Amino acid sequence: MTPGNRSLIKRERWIKLAAVVGLLLFSFITLFSVDNMLASVVIALVYTYLLNPFVYKLERRGFKRTPSILIPFFAAGAIFSLIVALFYPVVSEQIRDLQTEFPKYQEGVAQLIASLDAKAQLIFKDYYDFDMAQKLGDIVSVSASTIFTNIPDFAGRFLTIFVLAPFFAFFMIRDGRPIMRQFLRMMPNNLFELALNLNFQINKQMGDFIRARLLEAGIVGLVVWLGLAIIGFPYASILAFFAALTNLIPYVGPFIGAIPAIAISLINNDPGITIFLVAMTYAIAQIIDIVFIIPVVVAKIVNLHPVFVVVVIIIGSQLMGVLGMIISIPVASAIKLTISAVYDHLIHFRS
Amino acid sequence: MSNFLWDNIFRKDAQEKELIQRLKENILFESLSYKELRFIEKIVHERVYRANEVIFRQGEAGVGMYIIHKGNVDIYVNETAAGSEESEQESQVTQLSEGDFFGEISLVEANGRRTASAITSTDTRLIGFFRPDLVELLNRNPHVGAKVVFKLAEVLGRRLAETTNKISLVKQELHRINQRRKARS
Repeated sequence: MTPGNRSLIKRERWIKLAAVVGLLLFSFITLFSVDNMLASVVIALVYTYLLNPFVYKLERRGFKRTPSILIPFFAAGAIFSLIVALFYPVVSEQIRDLQTEFPKYQEGVAQLIASLDAKAQLIFKDYYDFDMAQKLGDIVSVSASTIFTNIPDFAGRFLTIFVLAPFFAFFMIRDGRPIMRQFLRMMPNNLFELALNLNFQINKQMGDFIRARLLEAGIVGLVVWLGLAIIGFPYASILAFFAALTNLIPYVGPFIGAIPAIAISLINNDPGITIFLVAMTYAIAQIIDIVFIIPVVVAKIVNLHPVFVVVVIIIGSQLMGVLGMIISIPVASAIKLTISAVYDHLIHFRS
Repeated sequence: MSNFLWDNIFRKDAQEKELIQRLKENILFESLSYKELRFIEKIVHERVYRANEVIFRQGEAGVGMYIIHKGNVDIYVNETAAGSEESEQESQVTQLSEGDFFGEISLVEANGRRTASAITSTDTRLIGFFRPDLVELLNRNPHVGAKVVFKLAEVLGRRLAETTNKISLVKQELHRINQRRKARS
């Protein structure tokens, strides 16, 4: 190989790599700096991974690409509308009740905190110099006063995201592959196979992860809803939806999901048996999750050490709040996969 | 301006036809119809290499095969025995030209490593067909995917038969050498 030729190849590789890195940086900056973009893209990705298996199924049956995408899209829209139509009367009534009863719960939470504070003062005496009742009471009253006034703003964002996300998802499914091909075409030759394989593996893991976690959350939500409805506990639908949503956060999510129900039953001065049954409902949901769902459905997910998972969730929550907590695990898995693949490709085989 | 545009469109069309023709000549895709080849053409990757550019090195992780669309590729094997203190020496095993293909074992081997190095000897255009592409093909069009996998099995079977033949020849040769040694002593 002539030195001139070698330097030409090197120069071309560096230019291509700079273009790829530049494009990736630009995409990340857009994603994080434009309002509602990150949440829309995350939900669009969820949509994409959920619908992709159905698109493949229709393509296998001989349908053309665009109808194969449109049919599951409209079917998903119809199912979603049906669920909303079925549950809207119940959920809206429960929200109205909650809004009326909210001052009672606000006061009840403050009293609970005060009694806990008093107990802590009694036990720790000299070592305890923190006015928990005052501090937590402030937080509760601020969040309580803003929770309903923020609803219009939240609804506006929600609407933007739910219009943008399906729009993005449609084009992600239809044009995602050709766009990725164009992106890979830009890759320098020495990194092409690595990039192609990484894209394939990350895509597969993300798909498995998202589908498994959503199924898991759905089953947990259903079990909680059934349990609370059987007991005749108030706000069963809202609490079940909350439990399903928080179940997406590993380890800490299930506990966060159970707090509102336990708090409500404590504030309502429910008999011990009711509190026990509410706690049992959440416990049974978790047992079903751990014993049946995780081994069968979620076991495919990349293995991360529990300490690493907790650290990643904390970092996610610090950076992006609840959304950060939910997406921190798939993002961390993708980063882990990338690092190990790059290490394997660039360092391991040369040593 | 319009000429330039039309020229480009026709050239792209001609390039696509050339690519499909090249695919049709390959054993893996020879049984496919024109429509099926158009489907494959949208899945495979065309890569351009300068003369003397490394395509892959022996020992690297490999995920698929390459068909030479234009140009030539030299295949080298590092013959230094494992554990040997001798400096690494690559010797050229063969030179491949237009229409030839290499690296097909990586299509089916999980976490496989390249068993030889491939370096271009002239400016070269390659058609890459990789494991993710094969999986996509099987997912989206299993009918075509099955035809390709069947041909791939045939190629690998042939390679296995060739290797078995060569090994038995080497064994016979070794046996003869041993007998000669015994006769001398």
